[in-house]
Amino acid sequence: MVLLQVQLPDGGWTYVLSIVVVSLKVSLTAVGLSTLLSLPVALLIGFTDFPGKRLLTAVINTGMGFPSVVVGLVVLMLLSNSGPLGTFDLAFTPQAMMASQFVLATPVVMSISLSSVEEVSRSIRDAAYVLGGTRVDVGLVVIKEARYGIVTAILAGFGRAISEVGSILIVGGNIVFSDGQSYTRTLTTAITVEARQGRYELGLVLGVVLLALVLVVNSLGSWIRSKGRGTRAS
Amino acid sequence: MRLTATDVSKSFDDAVLEDVSLGVEPGQVLTIVGPSGTGKTTLLRLFAAFQPPDSGTIAWNGSDLWSLSEAERLRVRRKMSMVFQEPSLFNAPVRRNVAYGIRVRKPWSERLRLGVGGLVGNEPLAESVQTALESVGLAHKAGQNALTLSGGEAQRVAFARALAVDPEIVLLDEPTSNLDPRNTAVLEDAIRRASDRGVTCVLATHDMNQAERVSDHVAFIFDGEVVETGPPAQVFERPTDRRTKRFVEGELLVDSAVEPDPTEPSS
Repeated sequence: MVLLQVQLPDGGWTYVLSIVVVSLKVSLTAVGLSTLLSLPVALLIGFTDFPGKRLLTAVINTGMGFPSVVVGLVVLMLLSNSGPLGTFDLAFTPQAMMASQFVLATPVVMSISLSSVEEVSRSIRDAAYVLGGTRVDVGLVVIKEARYGIVTAILAGFGRAISEVGSILIVGGNIVFSDGQSYTRTLTTAITVEARQGRYELGLVLGVVLLALVLVVNSLGSWIRSKGRGTRAS
Repeated sequence: MRLTATDVSKSFDDAVLEDVSLGVEPGQVLTIVGPSGTGKTTLLRLFAAFQPPDSGTIAWNGSDLWSLSEAERLRVRRKMSMVFQEPSLFNAPVRRNVAYGIRVRKPWSERLRLGVGGLVGNEPLAESVQTALESVGLAHKAGQNALTLSGGEAQRVAFARALAVDPEIVLLDEPTSNLDPRNTAVLEDAIRRASDRGVTCVLATHDMNQAERVSDHVAFIFDGEVVETGPPAQVFERPTDRRTKRFVEGELLVDSAVEPDPTEPSS
């Protein structure tokens, strides 16, 4: 039984598939880069005491609430022809979308990583040190002890990136090639287009795919958290 | 003297050390005894090269730890290990905890291989890991997650972890203060046996009876100063210093810094 008569545009299911691929590629890359930046910074902030540490932490936490359209606007200004990074010709490319999602996901990944790194007690670091660990070893031990929190941070960053629409619409331009393959169209930006054009069924299909992705990520997150709690409780 | 502190002063939080000079002879069990809060932990942390002293020198075989390069200091650090008041075990199986010090001493290529090996299966136990766990009677717990152990077992694993790296010196900071008598006895026995094998032990404790049971040499520390040193029989039975005498007689068990407030009405 067919519940929904989905009218597919040119390109058929490959259109839908290419949108999913672009969404995943952009968000995974953005979150991967955020993680690479956030972990060392979280360790550095977590390990050292300096004046302004609380202020910096507050700024990072505030970043979790960045309005995505403002981020999109600023990134587009930077990347546009007349902007400081205009020579790289990145406006309206997947790379531009990765950049804006990177800006949006980084405060989330950094803030949650930082709080889980700070939860690792000082004595764990001391133990790694007296057993002959170098500074790198001590950092690795802390990452390993905070692993459940860090995975949660990465998943939360991914959730923020994949479900975000404002900034990628501005910097990516929501472009589809004439053969129906997505260039900068993601699940979220496609839904805005389908809704505007009255193709609600297709919009709904895309929405279900997006929800399923977010659901998988969130269940993974709570499973990992519960696993972490299980070991810590004893 | 293997490890020496010469005229060391250090202020750290509330604890203050003043002009402390103390040497550790190879093979002996040296006990640093004194009331809580008198600088025992600070002195051990200086020996473990956590921070440089404010003045004076900490030296290994005569060379000042803090005039060495970082790589040379690491080499010296790797001849020592330490056990804290809290077990401070990692969230990992007991065997991986005990093998930690051995693993960080290996070159990166081998560590990566072992790391992957540890994910897919149990890496083979190094013989010293097995021996160390046996010496504290916990070889049968090798596969268990370290955070599921009881407090006493965890502290014994912490000692095994310190022994597994085959150190010349083990620093022990009040390792039995949270343990029941049975676990205390097991740990003291393990300390004695390690010492018989030639491992030097430096034990900080406020428990005089423990000091009498395990040590070859006692240094009595009070208010950041070493006030008396000697074999336990001499220090505890014929103390020459006034403060040692009061401590031995049980009058100085509380932190010397906590004087009763004269303005407060006594109840």
